[in-house]
Amino acid sequence: MRTPAALGVLDGAPAENRWRALITQESVSTIVASVVIAAVVLLPLAAMVVSSFLVMDGFGFSSNWGLGNYRAMVEDRIIKQAFVNTLMISTGSTMLATVLGVSLAWINARTNCPWREKLEPFNLIPFFLSPFVGAIAWHDLASPKIGLLNALARDMFGIQGAIVNVDNIYGIIWVTGIFFTPLVYLFVVGSLRRMDPSLEDSARTTGAGLLRTTLTVTLPLVLPGILSGAIIVFVTSAGEFGVPFKLGAPYGWETLTTQIFSKAVGDDANYYMGAAMSMTLGAITAFLVWIQQRIIAPREFTTVTGKGFRPNVVDLGKWKWAALGYNLAFVLFAVVIPLVGLLIVSLHPVWQGRIIPADLTFHNYARVLFWWRGDHIDAATNGIGNSVILAFAGASIAMALAIPVSYMIHRTKGYGSRVLDFLCVVPIGFPGIVLAMGVLVTYIKTPIYATLWILLLGYITRFFPYGQRNIASVMLAVSEELDQSSRMAGASWFTTLKRVTLPLLKPGIFAGWVLLFIIFLRELSISIILYSTGTETLSVGVYYLSNFENEPLTAALSIAQTVILLVSVVVFRRLAGREALTA
Amino acid sequence: MNPRENPAAPYLEVQGLVKTFGNDRAVDNISFSAPQGGFVTLLGPSGCGKTTTLMCIAGLHKLDAGEIRVGETIYTSAARHVFLPPEKRDIGMVFQSYAIWPHMTVAANVAYPLEMRGIARAEIDERVNEVLRLVGLGDMADKLATQLSGGQQQRAALARAIVSRPRLLLFDEPLSNLDLKLREQMRIELKRIQHEVGITSVYVTHDQSEALVMSDEIIVMSKGRIEQRGGPREIYARPVNRYVSNFIGVANMLEGTVVRVSAPGRGEFEVAHGNARIHLPCRLGEGVGEGSPAVLSVRPEDVRATREDGGNPGFAGEVLQTIFLGNCLDCRVLCGAFEWKVLAHPRTRLRRGERVFLRLDPERSLAVMP
Repeated sequence: MRTPAALGVLDGAPAENRWRALITQESVSTIVASVVIAAVVLLPLAAMVVSSFLVMDGFGFSSNWGLGNYRAMVEDRIIKQAFVNTLMISTGSTMLATVLGVSLAWINARTNCPWREKLEPFNLIPFFLSPFVGAIAWHDLASPKIGLLNALARDMFGIQGAIVNVDNIYGIIWVTGIFFTPLVYLFVVGSLRRMDPSLEDSARTTGAGLLRTTLTVTLPLVLPGILSGAIIVFVTSAGEFGVPFKLGAPYGWETLTTQIFSKAVGDDANYYMGAAMSMTLGAITAFLVWIQQRIIAPREFTTVTGKGFRPNVVDLGKWKWAALGYNLAFVLFAVVIPLVGLLIVSLHPVWQGRIIPADLTFHNYARVLFWWRGDHIDAATNGIGNSVILAFAGASIAMALAIPVSYMIHRTKGYGSRVLDFLCVVPIGFPGIVLAMGVLVTYIKTPIYATLWILLLGYITRFFPYGQRNIASVMLAVSEELDQSSRMAGASWFTTLKRVTLPLLKPGIFAGWVLLFIIFLRELSISIILYSTGTETLSVGVYYLSNFENEPLTAALSIAQTVILLVSVVVFRRLAGREALTA
Repeated sequence: MNPRENPAAPYLEVQGLVKTFGNDRAVDNISFSAPQGGFVTLLGPSGCGKTTTLMCIAGLHKLDAGEIRVGETIYTSAARHVFLPPEKRDIGMVFQSYAIWPHMTVAANVAYPLEMRGIARAEIDERVNEVLRLVGLGDMADKLATQLSGGQQQRAALARAIVSRPRLLLFDEPLSNLDLKLREQMRIELKRIQHEVGITSVYVTHDQSEALVMSDEIIVMSKGRIEQRGGPREIYARPVNRYVSNFIGVANMLEGTVVRVSAPGRGEFEVAHGNARIHLPCRLGEGVGEGSPAVLSVRPEDVRATREDGGNPGFAGEVLQTIFLGNCLDCRVLCGAFEWKVLAHPRTRLRRGERVFLRLDPERSLAVMP
């Protein structure tokens, strides 16, 4: 029965067979991708941990090992206050965003509020825009001296001083809260929409009223989604740089991010001190994200079934007009008023709080956009080109990495896939400015420092998990048997990837790419640490104008960035359908 | 000796197959073989290791010990560190979900294995048309896979599996997603097509009637081990133990002892009935001898229920329930503490509460290991 010829050959080379069996297209690709991800994610974190224990001497020339940085953090009055401010801002904006997000989601998913389908995309707009620009807009609207609203109040009612002031911790909470409302909204609206109505109907049949059903069935089912959203908002607020930089730092309200920034650039730069502060902030956010990922997210009910349920709709009666008013008010305050204010400011040569129709001009736009003009501003005109390059390249490279990584996590079983899954969650736990500090201390002595490459690396390190998640959600929905049947039909791993896996993952790849593209176009907190002259990005351009030029120029570039973002969102939604950018 | 010259010689050979997931021995030393053109079914409940065995043959799982060969080719051998990747094994496989690629037409799905083998376009078209006609999808070639019904996807998956005339066909519960009527129709059709193309097949199912209808040989599995292997009639008529008897069809199981061996394979079985002990002549299964505790397995259709006492051996009992099923009458009869399942002729008008006598046929009563 056994053929001696075949066996003879095999008997001679069992060891070689063992090695050859390990080198397959599949194992080589996944191992390479894993090593790249591990290096990209772990190097900056390791460098940050190590350098946080390096203490610089008073002259900034040499350094010693020790706990001096951490001791300074406890002793330094400003840093202590920044820590307290950060916690207060995160708590406040989380509460604001949760109340707004949950109520808006409920109105849109579960009530007969008029025009709710039309309003939904507008509720999500802040998600796609830059909070930094939001802070600039609100500064122009409601700062005590030059704020448009305050000036109008003075002119119309003849009052003294200001009616509102956003240049303080409450202004920061207000802007961060409304900008992160869509995060909570997205976490909650899915589970409200996809909830099996029979869950609530069965409660009603047992005699529970509408209120009781909502409290005992609906809310507990949505609660994990609400908690997830709240934690993500807390963490994102703690890592937010643009808003406190505009509304807080100049008026004595320092946060951890503004303090880290001042240690990374400027005259009293101290990377080691910055690393220690980043470590502290990162430890807090990573812990919270860990809780969200491992404890809360598995309890979410968003993906219970793929069935298209028609959720129960609550008839609000006359109150539906109140709900509509509430939703319109949100859109008004979160999107319309700030953008109109910015637009008005951007058309004035100088801004004193007063609209002067005779002075209106497009000159500011020409100076921040037209690089061929003699009076253009380099930092601004560089920004658009650099940001588009970074967004295209960053999104493409991140997605190319995410494909084999997702494949390994979800299609192979074993220790490696669990390690990789963990590595893909780690960057989500660290704010951009923290990870950027790590990237800075890691690569500062390499040739990529002060080039676009270091920005690209920072972007990919921080955000590739978002792309990976988009692919993973499609991959989990596509049966593994579709891949296996291709192998059985005689196709190699690469051919299977090319002809079956990738075509089936196309929607996820596209959705992930678009999300990263948008994020990279508005990215500030990584860029602000890693840019240098010539490699400014759009948001860095806005920062530069705000810091070194005047409000109208800042407003002009802010409007330009907003228009680019909104046009991208509209175009990509057309191309990919409405689900694409909310995944 | 060349297996192709001897039709009964093993063509597919699985030897000492072991596959563990963590501490769980999913497949625990499985060996079996199939002759060329044969149809072998791995039958068992979920978790018995049947699908894992199939995946090892396909090369989609790596095995921990053992060897799998087809004809003269070693597919995989733990001891020799041989592992042929799935695409080099020349196997056609039909998956439980059909796994028809939704982004291709039916024709493109079926042409795929031929493209992978570098066959010229003209021949591909010809063979695809031919095989689509064979499975009854001749006019569906240009439809997208998503436009097909479940039964049609099933046929397309079969066409894709056989189009390259592979050495082996593997079926992983292919009919379990179809409704009952379609399932019964597809059983016959699948068997016909497999017979027509003559490709050696391994079929995995948990449905015993599917296994009985289609197989040349059935391998009954439990907890990663083989309980019994044999032809459908043999397995049904002579199960080796309580597990197999229970899994294949329905059986009355009386616990007792074999008290006498009268002739080779014949004996007497003692069972408690109230305070009395009744002796029943029966056939003896494998491994059952005098004095050994055993289970008497009697199929419901082999029990006769009459109103008159027909003498020994038999039981007197009371009818608990009758269900009219059209072609037969399904009765429950309580004798002492044991509830008998009896399939009676539909014209026997037994009523609930009636007193009846049950008679067993010694030729169709089998004492097996507990």
